[in-house]
Amino acid sequence: MTTSHIVFAGAFILLAIGLYSLLIIRNLIKIVIAIQIMVKGAMLAFVAAGSLNGQSNLGQSLAVTVITADTIVAIIGLALAIRIQQSAGTLDIDKGINREG
Amino acid sequence: MPPVLVVSLALSPVIYLTGRWRMAVSRSFTLAALAVLWMAFGLIIRDFSTTWIYAQTAVRFAFDGISLLITAAVLVLSTLTAVFSFSDVRGESGEEKYYAMLLLMTGAVIGLVSAGDLFNLWVWFELTAITSYLLVAFHRERADVLAACAKYLIQTATGSILVLFGIALVFAQTGTLDLAQLQVSATPLAVVAGTLFIMGFGVKIALVPTYTWLPDAYAQAPSAISALLSGIVTISGLAALLRVLSLLDGMALGWGAALIGFGTLNIVVGNFLALRQDEVKRVFAYSSISHIGFMLLAIGIGIYADQDAGFQSGMLHLFIHGLMKALAFLAVGAVIYTHRNAPLKVNDLAGLAGREPLLATAMVVACLSLAGVPPLAGFVSKWQIFAAGITTDSVVLVILTIFAALNSVFSLAYYFPIINALFAKENAPPQRPVPLGMRLPIFLLTAALIIIGLYPSLLDGLVIAATQSLTALFGGSI
Repeated sequence: MTTSHIVFAGAFILLAIGLYSLLIIRNLIKIVIAIQIMVKGAMLAFVAAGSLNGQSNLGQSLAVTVITADTIVAIIGLALAIRIQQSAGTLDIDKGINREG
Repeated sequence: MPPVLVVSLALSPVIYLTGRWRMAVSRSFTLAALAVLWMAFGLIIRDFSTTWIYAQTAVRFAFDGISLLITAAVLVLSTLTAVFSFSDVRGESGEEKYYAMLLLMTGAVIGLVSAGDLFNLWVWFELTAITSYLLVAFHRERADVLAACAKYLIQTATGSILVLFGIALVFAQTGTLDLAQLQVSATPLAVVAGTLFIMGFGVKIALVPTYTWLPDAYAQAPSAISALLSGIVTISGLAALLRVLSLLDGMALGWGAALIGFGTLNIVVGNFLALRQDEVKRVFAYSSISHIGFMLLAIGIGIYADQDAGFQSGMLHLFIHGLMKALAFLAVGAVIYTHRNAPLKVNDLAGLAGREPLLATAMVVACLSLAGVPPLAGFVSKWQIFAAGITTDSVVLVILTIFAALNSVFSLAYYFPIINALFAKENAPPQRPVPLGMRLPIFLLTAALIIIGLYPSLLDGLVIAATQSLTALFGGSI
């Protein structure tokens, strides 16, 4: 059990926290934050994986690439939040989104 | 092909910028970019042998038969939907962004299916997702559209994070990400990684527990985008899933069984939910879920029973389903365009047969082909799936195949009300005529479905190349 193993386990704990938040939270901005928590977990997992197999550089560069992609997703999510707040007057996805199926 | 993707990536901002100045220039750039992609595709299909690896740059590509088939489908569909959109979204605000994103999405799908590196595969996957969020939310002034897009974004983003965790597990275990060298031995960690991949990509291809974004997104997106999403973008996730699962050694039987299970579930759930819909686009959206089930069943049979016929029928159905769904959504889009009523109910189709024979014929051909009525293209691929399933040794597979065939007949129950409505008495006159730019893609797709139904061997070149690649992927690991 090295430090890297503990960090790797920590990454999965972050994933679990994010998934649990997605289940209980209804506010769109908080949902974006929950997604961010999970992505941070994934980045941590890449860094830990890189140090586990002796390729720290590769692992860290992958983590940096993930930052770029997930920032775009966060921006689109927040832009949607602004639009939904303007048109529906609420950020609660249960009121704005619920449709059958 | 892969190096030419630079064209798609570089021209997309050009299209956006010129669109702010003159829309006509922007449209010509879109067509020019698609023409370049077509030329590159023509060059590669001329002397295509097996896998073509391009690894000069840091971004590795491996272009094999599956890439060839899906590239063909995405080029056909994006060209037709682009021509359709030139009339459909003309004059709407944000038109230039639409074309830029359409081109970027085309490039991203080609990149996704020809990626030669596990992490690049994820980057292309994320790029397809991001471009499709923006396209789904095109009518951003409508609250329903925003809500559908938010639902799509939350679910897809979660799925892609699960994929990312799977990749991290594979990376931790092997230390490499090159798809050509990667072989993960059968350990508990590999099972976890495979499960994460199925859950993550499963959101994108609408496996049953995580399908709920699909009907909303397809119903609220512009019709041409529904056609493209349903026809090929969603399905490209399946190619990515197969490529990734084939890396996990010695567990192919398990994954094959999982695909068969999910496939059967998708067929049943898609069919039953489609029955309850009265909005035409939602009917087609739910029928997409059931057709994805047919593909999964066919490919699952291919893996589980080690049958090339399963792979071949699955790949053929993948291509033909793209054409059928594109035709269905484009025909609906043309009706919505003439009537200016966005949620098109089944009853609103009344009188179409007398007024617009081409659109009515297109709808009938699309519906019958989706239901698998001979002599249309949908019959050919469904028949091959059932033939592949029946000839296996396993009793369970034979029972599942018969069950799927019954479901296919059952699907007529929701296609017939649409056909029926076309011939009903007219209740609302159209507000504007159907432009030629919309008629052309609809006519071409209708003709293609009839011709492929009569001469299915026309697609043999593409389908056999894809089958060989799939066999090579899974052949060694059983």
